[in-house]
Amino acid sequence: MKRILVVLVALILISGGAGTRAAERSPLRFTIWSGNQAHLELLNGIATAYKRTHPSVDVRFDVVPFGDYVQKITIQIAAGTPPDLGWLLETSAPTFINAGTVVDVGRILRRDQAYGFDDFSKRALQLWVRQDAVFGVPFSTSPFITFFNRDLFKAARLTAPDQLAARGAWTWETLRRSAYAIARSAGQGVYGFESVDGQGYDVRVWHTLIPIIRAYGGDAWEGGQCRFESAEAVRAVQFYLDMIFKDRSVVPPGEQGDFFSGRAAMTMNQLSRVSKLEGAKFAWGVAPLPSGPAGQVAVIGQAAIVVFAKSPNRDVASDFLKFMTNTENTVKMAKFFPPARDSVLKSQEFLTANPVVSPAQMKIVADGIRTGTVLPNHANFPRMDAGARPVFDRLWRADADVPAVLKGVCDVLRPLLKD
Amino acid sequence: MRRDRETAWLRRGAWYVALIILSLPFVFPFLWMASGSLKTPAEIFAFPPTLIPDRWNWQNFIEIFRYQPFARQYANSLYIAALVTLGTLCVSAPAGYAFARIRFRGNTVLFLLLLTTLMMPAEVTIIPNFLFMKLLGLINTHVPLILLPILGANGVVSTFLIRQFFLSFPQELEDAAMIDGLGRFGVFWHVAVPLVKPALGAVSILTFLYSWNLFLEPLVFINDLRLFTLPLAINNFADAYGVPVWHLQLAATTLSVLPVLAVYVLAQRRIVDSFVLSGMKG
Amino acid sequence: MSTGPLILPRRARGRAFFDALHGYVFIGPQLLGFFAFVLGPLVAVFVFSFQDRDLLTGAVAFVGLKNYREIFADPLFYKVLSNSLVFTAGLVLLNITLALTLALLLSGSFRGVTTFRTVFFASVVTSAVAWAIVWRFILQGQQGVLNQFLEIVGIHGPNWLREPRWAMVSVIVARVLKNVGLNMTIYLAALKSIPREYGEAAGVDGASGWQVLRSITLPLLASTTLFVAIITVNGALQVFDHILLMTAGGPENATNVLVYYIYRQAFQFFQIGYASALAVLLFFVALGLTMGQWLLRGRSAEA
Repeated sequence: MKRILVVLVALILISGGAGTRAAERSPLRFTIWSGNQAHLELLNGIATAYKRTHPSVDVRFDVVPFGDYVQKITIQIAAGTPPDLGWLLETSAPTFINAGTVVDVGRILRRDQAYGFDDFSKRALQLWVRQDAVFGVPFSTSPFITFFNRDLFKAARLTAPDQLAARGAWTWETLRRSAYAIARSAGQGVYGFESVDGQGYDVRVWHTLIPIIRAYGGDAWEGGQCRFESAEAVRAVQFYLDMIFKDRSVVPPGEQGDFFSGRAAMTMNQLSRVSKLEGAKFAWGVAPLPSGPAGQVAVIGQAAIVVFAKSPNRDVASDFLKFMTNTENTVKMAKFFPPARDSVLKSQEFLTANPVVSPAQMKIVADGIRTGTVLPNHANFPRMDAGARPVFDRLWRADADVPAVLKGVCDVLRPLLKD
Repeated sequence: MRRDRETAWLRRGAWYVALIILSLPFVFPFLWMASGSLKTPAEIFAFPPTLIPDRWNWQNFIEIFRYQPFARQYANSLYIAALVTLGTLCVSAPAGYAFARIRFRGNTVLFLLLLTTLMMPAEVTIIPNFLFMKLLGLINTHVPLILLPILGANGVVSTFLIRQFFLSFPQELEDAAMIDGLGRFGVFWHVAVPLVKPALGAVSILTFLYSWNLFLEPLVFINDLRLFTLPLAINNFADAYGVPVWHLQLAATTLSVLPVLAVYVLAQRRIVDSFVLSGMKG
Repeated sequence: MSTGPLILPRRARGRAFFDALHGYVFIGPQLLGFFAFVLGPLVAVFVFSFQDRDLLTGAVAFVGLKNYREIFADPLFYKVLSNSLVFTAGLVLLNITLALTLALLLSGSFRGVTTFRTVFFASVVTSAVAWAIVWRFILQGQQGVLNQFLEIVGIHGPNWLREPRWAMVSVIVARVLKNVGLNMTIYLAALKSIPREYGEAAGVDGASGWQVLRSITLPLLASTTLFVAIITVNGALQVFDHILLMTAGGPENATNVLVYYIYRQAFQFFQIGYASALAVLLFFVALGLTMGQWLLRGRSAEA
């Protein structure tokens, strides 16, 4: 018994020691949500390059799982052990900026001519810039594009979306007709269209509805007013609902029809999903988002690098941020993360960055980045999402009263939009 | 005579068939998980779904070690779970015994107080605990991951269970030993503990599993990838947009199941052994 | 069967005191740990509940009963609370019944019993994520295995996870199937401690298997059942991962339970004060249910 106790105590002491030994000299702590070795090599490489000119600065990348990222960093901030820098997703941007949790790095960035702040696409910066203040620099700006299964289109004898887009004929109407034709002809278990990650009825309901609503000239909200109940929005949503319940060409609620397994002819998603097509047994292609009565629409998802206000090393951290997002490093990161710098978007390195995606396809991505806007955002977005989603749930029925449901959404959103 | 044997055969057979059918919903997801670990990502969500993979991609199991320091993370989970299990037995067995057998002021009150541990969700108590650990300088170490399970909700459940088992035994054997001059500690170690081996076995399984599957505490307390435990590591098989890399997650999960099953089978023997009670009859 | 110590003569009263000291030493580590890591946070949560505390900005303000007033005025709170109670009731009843049944079935020793025990435990060791995925797949409306199976017998199954009425049932069943192996293990241990002679003697006296179960086995398991009930009730009130993974509180808030609601308040809206007030209310619900069960145990003289 005594022997066991001694071993136990020894083990605990060793483990405690092993843990604390890892935190000798405090490096800059940079939180990220990707644990991918290739990404880490890239990031560590940039940190090593920085160390050559700043020998006293070490950068340590802490990996936090994506789904729990916000939770973890807010606990750390609240407890007074914030990271120095970190990635931040677009949905958190207004909340964190309004709360004063992130540092304005505008002056540091603009001061340095070599940095070339104007190289950044204005639209891409929209979310992170308030007049002169710059609260974050986007390192990944990824537009949503249409993925399609070339084999299914060929089997149904339809023109592929990318060819239609080249002619300017890629619209929601043609998407609907293609989906319908393929769903009819392709047989059991194959659908015409799948929503983003198959989660269009729950987590990704915004990603699903906003592109089509915008294509019809509407939006979620504008200038503090809820626009879901507008005629354009109602038209757009009814169009999509008809695709689901009348045409039966869209993967219905509760069913699974994974595009990447060849079970749906089209889906919408970001470029990064290309990795899921490795080993795919079908030929595939990409096209921009379809246009609607209000014209072409591009929607982007973004993540930026921010410096946290409570960090004790704000100046050093801001300088590292500047280094990491300069042109040279943006080119390096463009291998994995679509950049927001115009010069890089036009470069050969970017267009040939991904071996699986052709330069012509990358150009679609580049156009999306330049012209795209993020999904509707708001400091109260978490509450709005929590309140609106149960109302959106009522849409997904064959007999849904679209105007009434959308009005219900606005009723929930209105008090939250005011703040 | 032969018909009797045949009906006995049929009864036996029906018994097994019934058990197999009953076990299907339990085992099917487990098999799906194991088979997914050998598939390509596209195959996992194919339709119609297949239980047997097209090709057995054993390289998935190699890739998980290349993706991150998985071996180290696995070892972390292993030694932490072992320590937590041992620690819980050392803390909860005496406590459970004392609550059941020893008369002292406040026995019931203190026990009920201890039970309140179960009534507050970890999501809320994690913030004060994080602040406390920060004060002690134990952030980014494994110490909170060992201390909190032993002394938190799982420890209380273990104490409760052991106390339960003691209460269901008559005290005669222990009283006899006390009269014989064995001190309280001696009675505990030589008489009482052997009595409740099934409970200790159950506690070992439950505690090992609890520690093995802990997610919130490691998430909050650990920053360094090399100090991750398995649930965090498995969650980390995801791309930069948070979308899980399924074939790697399932391969890692299948691997992580083995120690727990091993502990289960071993502890089962503890539970199954019937020992003492023949001496108790009458 | 006595459960107290023998009557002590005067000299032994000193020994009783010495014995009580042993008691305190035995429970010492557990109790110290409780005061350090449980009581402290509990008190902190109570204190937070009277504050407006923003996790992100760090702003703290004392607001008295404001959080509680807001909670009781919010119709969503009542929905969430009733969801939690219904969920708990359904889960506990199903879980305990199934656990006991399985334990009884597998308590004997026949060929392959250890294998079967391990099989029923396999669900416990399957990852929560894999479990959720497979069950979402099984519970699909048209393509789901369950509905296809029901079609064979002529029943048209609902869209299990997308209909408010059925979503709760689906999550309960999936959760019970995942965790029942744990309670089964506890019951197995308890059954093994019951001397076989009791049942055999009754069998010799002419009692049927069912009568033995009702009159001998179940009463002997009463205190174990109390234990299992208390643990399972408290566990059910705190189920979070399966709600998150299977339905995210939907559809239409049908599976929005108290813990999930608390999590969102704390980590998506960053309102720790409000979340703490909700947690305090959850605490009292759990306390009430546990005390209720504890006091009802009267019939079993041992617990």
